[in-house]
Amino acid sequence: MADKNWFASLFILMILFFAGEIFSAEVKINCVDCHTSAKYKGMYKESVHGNIGCKGCHEDIKSLDRHIIKKEKPSLISCGKCHGEIDKAYRNSFHYLYEDFRCYDCHYEIHTLRPEKGQFKITVAKNCTKCHTNEEYALSGHGAAVMKGNKDSATCSDCHGLHDTKAYHTSTERYILEAREFYNRTCKSCHSDREMMIRNGLSPDTVKYYEETYHGKVQDLGYPTSVAGCADCHTTHNILAKRHPDSAINPKNLTKNCEKCHHGIHPRFAEYKAHPDYKDRKRYPLLYVSFLSMVVLLLVTFAFYWTHTLLWWRKVYWEKHKLEQLGIKPESPFAHEENIQEIRRFSIKDRVMHVLLIISFFGLVITGFPIKYHNVPWAKVIIKIMGGAHNAGLYHRLAAIILIGLFLVAIWRSIRFLFPKGFCKKDRKGWLDRLFGPDSLMPNKQDWRQFKAMVMWFFNKGEYPKFDRWTYWEKFDFLAVFWGMFIIGGSGITLWAPEMASYVYPGWVFNIASIFHSEEALLAALFIFTVHFFNTHLIPTKFPMDPIIFTGSYKLEELWRSRTLEYERLVKEKRLDEFKIKHPGLALKIASSTFGYVSLLIGIIFTFIILWTFFFG
Amino acid sequence: MLRIITVLTVILYLIISCTAHQQPPLTEQASIEPAQAVALKKEKGAIFVDTMSYLECMDHRIPDSLCIAFEEFEEKSKAILKNKGQHIIFYCESDECLRAGQTYQKAKILGYKNIFILNGGLPAWKKAGYEVESIHRIKRAPVVSIKPHMLERLIKEKKDLFILDARSEDLYRSGHIDGAVNIPLYELNKRLKDIPKNRPVLVIDENGKKSFLVCCWLINNGVKDVIRFYGGMKYKEAKERKKG
Repeated sequence: MADKNWFASLFILMILFFAGEIFSAEVKINCVDCHTSAKYKGMYKESVHGNIGCKGCHEDIKSLDRHIIKKEKPSLISCGKCHGEIDKAYRNSFHYLYEDFRCYDCHYEIHTLRPEKGQFKITVAKNCTKCHTNEEYALSGHGAAVMKGNKDSATCSDCHGLHDTKAYHTSTERYILEAREFYNRTCKSCHSDREMMIRNGLSPDTVKYYEETYHGKVQDLGYPTSVAGCADCHTTHNILAKRHPDSAINPKNLTKNCEKCHHGIHPRFAEYKAHPDYKDRKRYPLLYVSFLSMVVLLLVTFAFYWTHTLLWWRKVYWEKHKLEQLGIKPESPFAHEENIQEIRRFSIKDRVMHVLLIISFFGLVITGFPIKYHNVPWAKVIIKIMGGAHNAGLYHRLAAIILIGLFLVAIWRSIRFLFPKGFCKKDRKGWLDRLFGPDSLMPNKQDWRQFKAMVMWFFNKGEYPKFDRWTYWEKFDFLAVFWGMFIIGGSGITLWAPEMASYVYPGWVFNIASIFHSEEALLAALFIFTVHFFNTHLIPTKFPMDPIIFTGSYKLEELWRSRTLEYERLVKEKRLDEFKIKHPGLALKIASSTFGYVSLLIGIIFTFIILWTFFFG
Repeated sequence: MLRIITVLTVILYLIISCTAHQQPPLTEQASIEPAQAVALKKEKGAIFVDTMSYLECMDHRIPDSLCIAFEEFEEKSKAILKNKGQHIIFYCESDECLRAGQTYQKAKILGYKNIFILNGGLPAWKKAGYEVESIHRIKRAPVVSIKPHMLERLIKEKKDLFILDARSEDLYRSGHIDGAVNIPLYELNKRLKDIPKNRPVLVIDENGKKSFLVCCWLINNGVKDVIRFYGGMKYKEAKERKKG
C-alpha cells in the first residue's frame, strides 16, 4: 500500500515538473510567436541585450494566458536593475529632473541596440543633436573631427556628461560664475592632456601658458568671473581654427571679442597674446628678449648684492667676535655728555615719506604677490582675506597711487634741492656742484673709491672707508626706487588701463608690461627684504633694528663712526650745532619700534614664502 | 520756535500717515520640503496640486496629484476643492517656476487656510528619491530647433509656417512675432483642432523650457513638421537687446 502511494506521489511530481518545463518553454516560444516583428525575432538576439531573453526584463508577466488576452500588461522596465550606477547618476541629471526623460527616450530601439564598436562619439553626437539641433557644433572643429572618427575630439558628452548631465547654465552673460567655471574645467580637462594635444598637433602647454597670464592667474585663484576664461574668447560650440573667417579668434573678429570685456579699445588691443610662451624665441622674439633681460637683471643684481652682503656680514661678525673675545669696547673720542648728543639725520618730511613708502610697498607686495604666485595655498588665503581678486586689485591701485604720489614728491624735492633759490638763470648757479656734492644722492667718483675700499676691507686689506652723508649702497637704494618706478610704475599704469593704453601701443606691449611688472616686483621685494634690510637693520652692529628712519636722529658718536667725512665737514664748516636735537620722546620711540619691527617681520615672512614658492612652489 | 514746532509736527504727521497707509506685506509663503509633504499627506490627507498645464501634468506628476493649472485655479477649485480647510500642497515644474507661488496667493485670497508650496518643485521631489506617475505620457521625439537669427530665413523658406505662441495671453499681448497665433499651454489640449497638421509649426514659449514637450505632443498628434524655437521669446528679446 505504501509502495502504491509512493508511486502515485512520484507520478504526480513528474507531471508537475514536465508541465512546468512545458509552460516555461511555451513562454519563450510564444513571445516571438506573437511578437513577430523582425526586431524581436532576429535583431533582438544580435543586440546588446540579446543574451538576457524576454523575461530578463519583462519579468512581471506571470501568466501568459492573461497576457495574451491583454489582462496582464507589462509594466515599465527598470533599467536601473542592471545598470545601477547609470541609474544613480541619471536620477540627478538634468534630463530626468527637468525634462522627465526616460531611458527609452534616447535609446529609442532598445530591442535592436547594437554594440558601438568604436563609433561611440559619433553616436553620442548624432543622438544629442536629434533634439539639440546645433549646427554650430556640427560645423566646428570638434564636431568635424568627431565625425571623421577622431577619438580625442570633444563630443557632446565630453563636456556635458552623458547620463549625469547637470542643469548647466552655460550663458557666460547670465550665469557669470557657473558658466565660466564649467567651460574652464571642461576645456582644460582635455587641453592640458599633453599626450592628447601632441597626438592632435596642438600645443600641449596652452593651458599652462594661459595660467601664466593675468587672466589665468586670477581664474586659478578662484575668481573666474573677473577675467576672460576659455569660452569668453573661443566661444562654446562654434570653436573653429584661427584661419577660419568665422572663428572667434580670427584676427578680423578678435577685436570684437576683446571688446566684450574691454570697452572702447583700439583695434591693436587685440594683438595681445592670450597664452604665449615667453621662452619661444621664434614665435615671440620680443617677449623672449624681455623675459630674458629681466632674468639677467635679477641674476646680476642678486649675485652682486648678496655676495656684497655676505662678505660684509662676515667681516662685521668676525670683528665683533674678536672684540668680544678680547673684551675690548670700541673707543670714542667724545666725553659722555657729548657722546649722547642726538644728531638729526632725517627731516620730518623724509620720515613721513618713508613711512608712507613702507605702507604702500607692503600694500603692493601683499596684494600683488598672491597674483604672481597664484597656484600656492597662501596666495589663495591672502586674496580671500582681502575679499577677492577684485578687492585685491583695488587695494593694489590704492597703494600704487600713494607710491606715485611719493615719487612725484621726491622728484619735486630733488628739483628744489638743486634749485633752492628758484629757476631763474642767476638762481640756478651752483646746481651742478649741488648735484655731485656731499648732500646729493647722485653717485660720483668718491662712491667708486669707497666701494673699492669697502671690498678691500671685506678681505682685511684695508681700513673701513670714511663715508660722507650718503654711502654708495644708500645711493643705489634711492636710485633703484627711481629706476623701479619707471619700469614697475610704467608697466603698472599700462596694465591698469589697457584700453586707453591701446591707443598708444599695440596689445603685445601688455605682455611685455606683465613680464616687467612681475619680475621687477620680485626684484624690488627681494632686494628690500634681503639687501636693504641687512644693510640697515640686520647687520650685526645694528641688529635687530635701526629705528633712525622713524626717530630721525642718532648719537654723535654714530655720526663720527659711520659718517666720518660728514662729521669732519660739519665741524670744519662749524655747522654741527645746527643738527643737534633733543633725544626722541618715549612715544616716538615706542611707535618707531612697533612699526619698524612689524614691518621687518612682514618682510622676513614674505622673503621666506617668496623663496619657498620660487624654489618649491 | 513755534514755527519750527509746527513744521516738525506736520512732517511727523506726514511720516505717520504715509506708513499707516502702506499696504500690508504679502503673506509669507509656507514652503515645505518633499519629506514634509509626504508626511503631511499621510497624517493630514494633504492633496498635491500640479499648477502646470494639463498636458504637462498628465505627462508626469507626483502620484495622485490634481491637475489644476494656475490660470484655471479660481474656476476649478470651486468644484474640486470645496473644503477650505483641506491641506493642499502646490508645486511647479522647477525651482524657478512662479506658478506654485502665484496659485498659493490666489488660494489664500480665496480663503484656503492650510496651503503650502513644495520647495524646489518637481525636481526637488525627484531628487529626494520619490517617484512620479505618468497618466498620458507624451512620447519624446527628435525635434529640430532654430535660434532667433534663423527665424527670418525660416519664415522666408516656409511660406505656410504656422507660428504657435504657447505663452500666456498677457505675455503674448506684451509682444509677439508677427503672425504668431496664441494658444496658451494650459489650453492646448482643448484646442488641438486649431493647429494645422499639414503645415510646418514653429513652437514658441516663454524661455524654451516648455516648447520641447509641446513639439513632442504635436508630433504624437499627427503634426508632421514641428520646429522648436530655441530659448523662447526671452532668449530672442535678450539677443535683440544685446544687438541694440
